Amino acid sequence: MAFIEFNDVSFGFGPVSNRYEVFENASLSVEENEFVAIIGFSGSGKSTLISLLAGLQKPDFGVVMMDGDIVQEPGPDKGIMFQNYSLLPWLSVVGNIDLAVKQVFTEMKVDERRDYVQHYVDIVSLTGSEYKKPHELSGGMRQRLSLARTLAMKPEVLLLDEPLSALDALTRAVLQDEIIRIWEEDRRTVVMITNDVDEAVLMADRIVPLTPGPSAGFGKSFPVTLERPRNRATLNFNPEFKKLRNEVTRYMLQINADAKALAPVEELALPNLEPRMPGKLPVQSPV
Amino acid sequence: MSVTVLKRTFSIALMVATCVCLSTASQAQDKQLLDLEKDSLKFGFIKLTDCAPIVIAKEKGFFEAEGLQVDVIAQPNWKTLLDNVITGELDGAHMLSGQPIAATIGFGTKAHVITAFTMDLNGNGITVSNAIWETMQENDPALQSETPPHPITAASLKPIVDEKLDGGEKLQMGMVFPVSTHNYELRYWLAASDIHPGMYTKSDIGGRTDAQVELSVTPPPMMPATLEAGNIQGYCVGEPWNQAAVAKGIGVPVTTNFDIWKNNPEKVFGVTKDWSDENPNTHLAVIKALILAGKWLDATDESGKLTNREEAARILSRSDYVGADFDVIKNSMTGFFYFQKSDKREMPDFNVFFKHHCTYPWYSDGVWFLTQMRRWGQITEPKPASWYDEMAKEVYKPEIYLKAARMLVEEGLLAEDDIPWDTDGYKEPTSEFIDGLTYDGKKPLDYLKAHKIGNKE
Amino acid sequence: MLRPTPEKTKSTKVPFKYRLVKAVDVAGLNFLTPVVRLCFGEEPRKQLKDIGLYIVIPIVAMLFGVLAWFAVSEMVVTKSGKLPNPTETLSAAGSIWDFHFRENDKLSAFEMTGAQRDARLASVESRLAELVPLEEKINQEVAAEGKLAQERATQRVAALQKKYDKLKTKLDSESKEREQVLKAKSESVAQDDMAAKKAYIADVRAHRKSLEVAKDELRDLKSKIKTLSDLKDDQLAAAVRKQTQIAEERQYLGKMKDQLTKANRDLKVTGALEKLDLDMASFFDAEPSKMYAAASKVVKAESRIAKLKLSEYAKPSTLPFQIKRSVLCVFVGFFIGTVIAIPLGVMCGLSKTFMAAMTPIVALFKPVSPIVWLPVCLIISSAMIPDPDKHFLTQWMWSLPILGKYQINPAFLASACTVALCSLWATMTNTALGVASVDEDHLNVARVLRLGFWDRLFKIVLPSALPLVFAGLRISLGVGWMVLIAAELLSSSEGIGKYVWDQFNNGGSRSFANMVVVVFVVGIIGLILDRMMVVFQRLVSFDDSPTAV
Repeated sequence: MAFIEFNDVSFGFGPVSNRYEVFENASLSVEENEFVAIIGFSGSGKSTLISLLAGLQKPDFGVVMMDGDIVQEPGPDKGIMFQNYSLLPWLSVVGNIDLAVKQVFTEMKVDERRDYVQHYVDIVSLTGSEYKKPHELSGGMRQRLSLARTLAMKPEVLLLDEPLSALDALTRAVLQDEIIRIWEEDRRTVVMITNDVDEAVLMADRIVPLTPGPSAGFGKSFPVTLERPRNRATLNFNPEFKKLRNEVTRYMLQINADAKALAPVEELALPNLEPRMPGKLPVQSPV
Repeated sequence: MSVTVLKRTFSIALMVATCVCLSTASQAQDKQLLDLEKDSLKFGFIKLTDCAPIVIAKEKGFFEAEGLQVDVIAQPNWKTLLDNVITGELDGAHMLSGQPIAATIGFGTKAHVITAFTMDLNGNGITVSNAIWETMQENDPALQSETPPHPITAASLKPIVDEKLDGGEKLQMGMVFPVSTHNYELRYWLAASDIHPGMYTKSDIGGRTDAQVELSVTPPPMMPATLEAGNIQGYCVGEPWNQAAVAKGIGVPVTTNFDIWKNNPEKVFGVTKDWSDENPNTHLAVIKALILAGKWLDATDESGKLTNREEAARILSRSDYVGADFDVIKNSMTGFFYFQKSDKREMPDFNVFFKHHCTYPWYSDGVWFLTQMRRWGQITEPKPASWYDEMAKEVYKPEIYLKAARMLVEEGLLAEDDIPWDTDGYKEPTSEFIDGLTYDGKKPLDYLKAHKIGNKE
Repeated sequence: MLRPTPEKTKSTKVPFKYRLVKAVDVAGLNFLTPVVRLCFGEEPRKQLKDIGLYIVIPIVAMLFGVLAWFAVSEMVVTKSGKLPNPTETLSAAGSIWDFHFRENDKLSAFEMTGAQRDARLASVESRLAELVPLEEKINQEVAAEGKLAQERATQRVAALQKKYDKLKTKLDSESKEREQVLKAKSESVAQDDMAAKKAYIADVRAHRKSLEVAKDELRDLKSKIKTLSDLKDDQLAAAVRKQTQIAEERQYLGKMKDQLTKANRDLKVTGALEKLDLDMASFFDAEPSKMYAAASKVVKAESRIAKLKLSEYAKPSTLPFQIKRSVLCVFVGFFIGTVIAIPLGVMCGLSKTFMAAMTPIVALFKPVSPIVWLPVCLIISSAMIPDPDKHFLTQWMWSLPILGKYQINPAFLASACTVALCSLWATMTNTALGVASVDEDHLNVARVLRLGFWDRLFKIVLPSALPLVFAGLRISLGVGWMVLIAAELLSSSEGIGKYVWDQFNNGGSRSFANMVVVVFVVGIIGLILDRMMVVFQRLVSFDDSPTAV
């Protein structure tokens, strides 16, 4: 039996009369220590998938199993890293990590805990910003802090919900390397949601596309057999990489087109208006 | 041992001797200092000039001479003042004569309040608005003068009252408290001219049943403002609030209570019976200081001029005491009264603080207030004459007064004939009322019967 | 392992300028920001513009306000006096301070000893001696001015008075004449001539009517004369003011002399000690039969000395003391309100059921005016503390180190409770809102970490709700301060409210100005309280969201 089992799961929102089915009979299994990237278009229920895996939400039908157990509620063993970081704004960098550590490792002594927290601060290269509040950090730093907090809980499985989507390309590259480095240090099961095919190919052992919602499901898996460590500079010239990337992209476009063809047309005609600025034009910048 | 004591005595004597030349500390030596149960006290007062004995006893050091430190605190109205005395928030207060009696018999808040000191005689006036005064002048040509003859009765007010009644209205007048002297005086003045001021009944505690003129309660300092606002057309209140009406030009005092009842008792110093029982020596010390303050206030020179009143007026005009302008307070305190700006009269007995044995707590005064309470229905059942006597004796405590006075005489601060030592507590019958009726404190029922308006038994 | 780096490293990174700007911002003194920036030479033109906008314009507006006040005070004249202008208000504030300092002086004189006392006494006496001729002079001056003012008033009304007299005599004679005519005419009317009789009555009616009209005219004239003659005489008023000043100083010095001599605590103790020695001596010499009496005399004297040593001058409440007591009262009430409001608000925020249960109660009590709460509170608090002098609660409060001197009594507690009852609603609703609207993500964090109820409350929910809670507290404190003044006024609990009420009751010529002083005192303290809450609010707000100023 796989480490994570997603068995015939159905999940939807709203009343029966106006129900929006996010998943219908979706199944997925993830092996232990496997790095799976879930890739999908926006609105295909990616975040819901993570919530279901983490136990924050319960499926309407079917079960989510983890390590042979039904997932009933969230917990520190299912380390979730939220799309919008979910840092506690009134706590500093250290405070945010410490809150999690204190809760998970109740026996840890004060000194020990301080060193432990510092270790994770160092891992995500936030050294020197220990006492800053989240609003004083840049987007990338917040993301790293969120990662550090999740890692510090030593979860059995890491659930990453579009961890890098809000970042600029450069920061994103740095963090990708960082996540891979950390994962390689201490291999754990990882489920990462992303909308970037390159990222998925670069990082994951296997890529699973989500078919577009409503009533999403999982498409066919693409195992990534590229050697690790993967070098982003040389990868671009790797034919296997190119091939895989094209395959996935083509597949994604295909399922999207199918879905569009099936879906009822509900396009709204936009009014033919030309937006205009009030007041005099051109606007002068204030002195 | 005795040698060291002597040495110490000598050195202290030297020290004191140097001080004595600066001070009057020697006076304290032959004083019989009482063994005080409590030496820091809080007394309440209402902003009226007749709170003078308390203020003077503090400011001129009479309390201190008795070893007392006294806080004198202004109260917003008579009800709060009485409540504060009853709850123990205040140790004692400047009270309306009717208040201890009413509290003891249970009209209003019930509590056993006693008095061993009458603070003053007279001191009230009845003021009407300018418009009423003009109509009164039209009704009675004798009043059409800068200095009309006194006493002015309510006879010239009667047509105004009747006219208002015909129009379905009632004249509104203000007094300061249901059991205040002012209430009874205003009623007396009105009733003496056949104007019915209304009866209190079990269900009507506002005292407006059958009223031709409606009386309502307004705190003394608020009187001029309420008159100016037109909520009332006249009021009966103590000083300086009649003189204030003249000074501000908003009303005309028509009569004083000196004309309604010559030398009537006005305010008393009230404490609860419990307080007096717990602090007998402190109570004595307070009464001693108050007697001396009264004497100081009434001190005159050979020509009979009141010598200390100007200073008293200056002290009272301080904003934490009465706070009205010095000129306004000075008028009545120094023996004058302005009926109009152009009508200044000498009234040497307008405020009496010591003369006429006034500080003695007379039973007959208590009985008079009880007769008025019965007359106007505040006491709902008829009572036998003996009840009046008993009640007066419950409230008025001349024994404490006399004890304090005796100590003062022994200390040489008071003359023997300043105090009526041998009285039975009842003043001689008097008929110095505006309606000429005779009041004998020993025959309260006869007095009740003699009145035309009000309960007769 | 790296040690956690202390704040220092961080601070060195932020330039001093920005720290200063931030401090100014947190302190709620944003109007100073351009000044700070200008000092560092940052965009001078923009800063000057900002200074103009945030500093110069408000000052100009205030100056305008003062000018308008001067103008308005000339126009608002009531029978209780003229609206005091800024100078009069300032001088009233001065005399309030004088009173305060004089009372403090009396207190210190009461406690003075030895050479210090002698020196003070000498200075008081020399000043008293100086005052005597001054007082005589000013008294004469006032008398003279009074006469002059009388003359001036007569002069002012002379023309009108003349007109009035003339009119009156004219009217009197005319009406008499007409009356005569009418009376004479009556004889010519035949007994049964109805028409003539009707004409006659019409004549009389016309006569009465013209009389009324004339009387009205006279009354008009008279009231004009009265207004003119009642006009305030500035010279006389100035003289009287000076007289009052001197008389008050004399009063004060006289009392000071008493405090330094016969009322002085040290002197009284010395005198009593001396007497004790005499008593002691007579006790030693006493025969056995009188020994008991002599001994008890000594013991009594001893206990009196002990009391004397502890005795304190009964200082009347002065405005500064009343201000402090009011501020204390508002904080006590605010504290009570907060202690009730926050738990209730948290419960409302956490539980929809509880919120539903509370909604009608809140809706019912929220609009109740302090005027209604106060008597209720007053009755309850005096019932709970029947005899404040002996009750353990008041005894305990009076023995507290700092609070003790404020004499917390039932009236104080009633005012505080009124403040609490009127102010707790803002905190409560804001807390409920804050708790109910905690970010879903933060709650998810709590779920992932499997925080227990209390941990979730104290580590996630409350910190997250804190900015809103403080916004509520700020409103509450503002409401509380406004309510307090009214409550004190009614309960006559020593404080600013009672001061205003006493002044209103005084009705003296200076009372009006004193009340205007209090307007500013209340405003300034309210402003300070509000600023204080703004600072707190900024300290707890974790993002840079601006606080309403």
